[in-house]
Amino acid sequence: MKNEILPWLILFLPLFSAAAITLFTLRRKTVSSLISISAVVTGFVLTCLFLSANTFHPTVTETTVNWLTIGNLSIDFGLKLDALSLMMMLIVTGVGGAIHIYSYGYMHDDRSMARFFACMSLFTFSMLGIVLANNFVMMFIFWELVGVSSYLLIGFWFEKPSAGDAAKKAFITNRLGDFGFLLGILMVWSLLGSLNFGALNSIVTANSAALGCGATLAGLLIFCGAMGKSAQFPLHVWLPDAMEGPTPVSALIHAATMVAAGVYMLCRTFFLFEHSPEALHVIAYIGGFTALLAALMAIQQNDIKRIIAYSTLSQLGYMVMAVGLSGPTTAMFHLTTHAFFKALLFLSAGSVIIGMHHEQNIWQMGNLRKKMPLTFLTFFIGALALCGVPPFSGFYSKDAILALALEEKNYLLFGVALFVAALTTFYTFRLFFVVFFGQEKSKEASHAHESPLVITLPLVALAVLSVVGGFIGVTNFYGSQFGAKHASLTVMEQFTHPFHDVFPMACGIGAVVVGLFLAFKFYKNAATDPLPAKLGALARWMANRFYFDELYEATVIRFHDLLAQSSDWFDRWIIEGACIGLIRGGTDLSGRALRLVQTGNLQTYAFLFVFGVALLLYFVLVK
Amino acid sequence: MNMSLIGLEISVIGLGLVLMLADLFMPAERRKFVGYAGIAALGAMLLFSFADVGTCSIAGTAFNGSFINDGISLFFKRFFILAAILVLFIAAEFSDRFAVGSVAEYYSLVVFALAGMLFAASANDFVMLFVSIELITITFYVLVSFQRSKLASLEAGVKYLILGALSSSFMIFGIALIWGTTGELNFTKLAAVAPQFETSKIFLLGVLLVLVGLGFKIAAFPFQIWAPDVYQGAPTPTTAFLAIGSKAAGFVLLLRFLFTAVPSVTMHWGKLLIILSGITILYGNLCALPQRNIKRLLGYSSIAHAGYLLLGVAALNAAGQTAILYYLAGYLFTVLAAFLVIALVLRHLDTDDISGLAGLGQRSPLLAATMTISMVSLAGIPPLAGFFGKFLLLKSVVEAAQATGNQGYYCLVFTALAGVVMSLYYYFGVVRMIYWSKEPSDMSPIALSPAAKLTAWICIMGIFWLGLFPNSVLVLAGEAAKALGK
Repeated sequence: MKNEILPWLILFLPLFSAAAITLFTLRRKTVSSLISISAVVTGFVLTCLFLSANTFHPTVTETTVNWLTIGNLSIDFGLKLDALSLMMMLIVTGVGGAIHIYSYGYMHDDRSMARFFACMSLFTFSMLGIVLANNFVMMFIFWELVGVSSYLLIGFWFEKPSAGDAAKKAFITNRLGDFGFLLGILMVWSLLGSLNFGALNSIVTANSAALGCGATLAGLLIFCGAMGKSAQFPLHVWLPDAMEGPTPVSALIHAATMVAAGVYMLCRTFFLFEHSPEALHVIAYIGGFTALLAALMAIQQNDIKRIIAYSTLSQLGYMVMAVGLSGPTTAMFHLTTHAFFKALLFLSAGSVIIGMHHEQNIWQMGNLRKKMPLTFLTFFIGALALCGVPPFSGFYSKDAILALALEEKNYLLFGVALFVAALTTFYTFRLFFVVFFGQEKSKEASHAHESPLVITLPLVALAVLSVVGGFIGVTNFYGSQFGAKHASLTVMEQFTHPFHDVFPMACGIGAVVVGLFLAFKFYKNAATDPLPAKLGALARWMANRFYFDELYEATVIRFHDLLAQSSDWFDRWIIEGACIGLIRGGTDLSGRALRLVQTGNLQTYAFLFVFGVALLLYFVLVK
Repeated sequence: MNMSLIGLEISVIGLGLVLMLADLFMPAERRKFVGYAGIAALGAMLLFSFADVGTCSIAGTAFNGSFINDGISLFFKRFFILAAILVLFIAAEFSDRFAVGSVAEYYSLVVFALAGMLFAASANDFVMLFVSIELITITFYVLVSFQRSKLASLEAGVKYLILGALSSSFMIFGIALIWGTTGELNFTKLAAVAPQFETSKIFLLGVLLVLVGLGFKIAAFPFQIWAPDVYQGAPTPTTAFLAIGSKAAGFVLLLRFLFTAVPSVTMHWGKLLIILSGITILYGNLCALPQRNIKRLLGYSSIAHAGYLLLGVAALNAAGQTAILYYLAGYLFTVLAAFLVIALVLRHLDTDDISGLAGLGQRSPLLAATMTISMVSLAGIPPLAGFFGKFLLLKSVVEAAQATGNQGYYCLVFTALAGVVMSLYYYFGVVRMIYWSKEPSDMSPIALSPAAKLTAWICIMGIFWLGLFPNSVLVLAGEAAKALGK
């Protein structure tokens, strides 16, 4: 393998950047942002260099140093370099780099800009760690680091209580999933005796029954981790709230990286799931259900970022469903295209928000296509990609998922996916029409302005990727990782690939047309939302996210509070009061009692002295 | 006889006389500065002791073997001189509390007590032991009651005098019994004949009564009863010297007596020493818990520390003796730091209540830091001197437990650790008062003389140096302890 040092450099550059900013340049905004941006951009360039030297299949796929040895368990700090991780590195450093540059413009007036970039660098480091990890322990450590840095970023504006709450919610919800993940890791280790992905893969390949009846349980426990990070039902509640963070954070965390980590992890450890159809079934249905649920919720949201957040949830549902349908290639394909167009949508939304002077309610906007033509164009491209309009990137990956569902003969999930595709188009274009067409609905909308170049340039770059992402060979690379059924395709073949299987493609396009038509009908020139009147209670349920937050509040959180209160009581009265109190009180009392001996009376002292002598004599001479 | 062997003692006595005479020629208001001359002279002697030509570093015996210069005497002589220097600094700061012009007299008494301690460090027979102890004790009777206008000081002096006389009478009786049974007064010669008398109850009684006298000096259970009252009543510099000098003199004599004179008897007394050590630790710490008077608190804490030091005696091994020497070295800086702060802060107050330290963190950051470091070191927290000393003592006890298989040693370790935990409470009570007291009544900044600052810095450096680089002193202590077994 050539340039072996490069992956290490790519991994640690953001960490150095975070450390340097925190230690030295916290007071200097521009220097800090430049350090952070150059760390991730250099990472992208180095990744390209590494790829040009080694292609997507380096001769040596692991580079490790021994980190610690406990008994016969030896844990490496190692980097795994294959098509999966290298492609993911391109996404993290490439899309991440675009977002970093965009942030320079977006956060320019924030007085904590240096802290923002330190956190962004820390986040990039953590994410790269997950991508490159070659064993479960290392992955788990970076997994937690991602949790921490996302906490820091979501709660970046911590002076706002809602941001603090959202950060806590994200962190704690993720911790719930991580607990399952950790149990899963321990279970895999106890069953197979190794934590290294390569070693585990060869063990499982050699003996498909190695996991035995524990396969399903271990698989589902590991899936818990993905459930938290990729925000799958029932741990989906944190993602929409995480929109409290600055918009670039939403783009970075909720489009390109953090939420992708769950899906990535499932694909990285897919060899464990292959032998447990039950676990895969559960995963597929949870994915499908999340996709449906999130799409329904999105229909009645009014915050521009929240709508996109729910669409992220829904698209993540698609990816997880694809994994569950034994299609890691398809899942990663959709993850990649989604990273492009969702980052684009978020950043365009951020541009809109800047133009609107931080107004996020879509019903305060309107007719922005005149005021912000470039943002309008990029958002339009992103929307088309998200809905799956040919030949935009989303079309190819979504079509692959639909085809996969049919191939697996899972007609229920095929139906769900189709329905969700229609819903997606509907709510996306609802947003699109309301924001960019119709009348200006507020003063801000009339005074909106296009954003500066540092913001629009990354938009253009991401827009290009969103257009062509579906046929530039992404599937080839993933396919080579997961054993593709067919050889690598040329660009032209990829371009026409969906036409080989006309039925799912036709269904997909049909769904898009239906969604588009309905959105056009309802929202072409709408000043208010006509849906609540038509749907009644259903609309209210959608707007209130099917009352999941309230449900959790009433059950999980109430129960948790009760548990905390009783533990507090136990700690205060039994441990502190009875156990420690008795010892403390006893000591104190004996101290006070002994003090009484010191009367200050000389005769008593002399007597005690002689009594002491007598005691000694008795002890030594008589006994 | 080589007179140069006692050159150091002679020069110290000479210094004492000079200081006393200075009283006659100096005007009263300038006598405070006589102390700095004394400090300079003692400093020169201390430096001299590190040069190879120093008189106290010549090994040998004098007065028919009753006076000996060896490793341990050298170690303790340096120790005592250093202690006296720091006490003189404290005394100079404290001088305005004495009767006008009497401070030079006080200085000379400190130096005479130092002479007694130097002789104690070299004592190799019972006569020298008794004479040096009396020289120290009688000087201290005066030092304790030196604030003649203060009733508490006089009361403390009388108590110390009567109980001291009682213990001296026990000790001299013990010496008489030992001499009567064995016919030997010299430690080295006694060690040779002692095994024959192991079953003689009269001989054992004699040994025990000498132990009573030494136990009184170091304030070990059950002879600790005087300590709190005397510590509280005595002028602060005296208390400081009592806490370190007098106690260390007691320990050097105890070590010589137990391990040079009657080692054969001592070897059978492990159990007794374990019990005494354990009870002393518990007594000191328990009584200190409810204490609000800082000097009395340090009196109880000094009992507890006598208990910790007895751990090293009870271990009955060279490691324990080395640990005692090391611990005393750390204790010197720690305790003198505490008394320096008490002398500076509380000298103008009527009470010695802990609340007098309230707000010290703002009134004088240096003094607050000194007191805090001292308390933290007394509590035995790394990386300060107190921690490493306690660690060495406990290590020696554990080694003894492993070597002898006596389970009592493990109980002793447990007791000592329990004592340390208790002590955290009252030591940190002082720290809390310094930094987190609710409403300090007096917030005026405390002006410090350069000498006071220097003393504070010496103590702080000493505490850290011993904690961080224990080896330098440990080597000296190890060599000194080797001299005991001979």
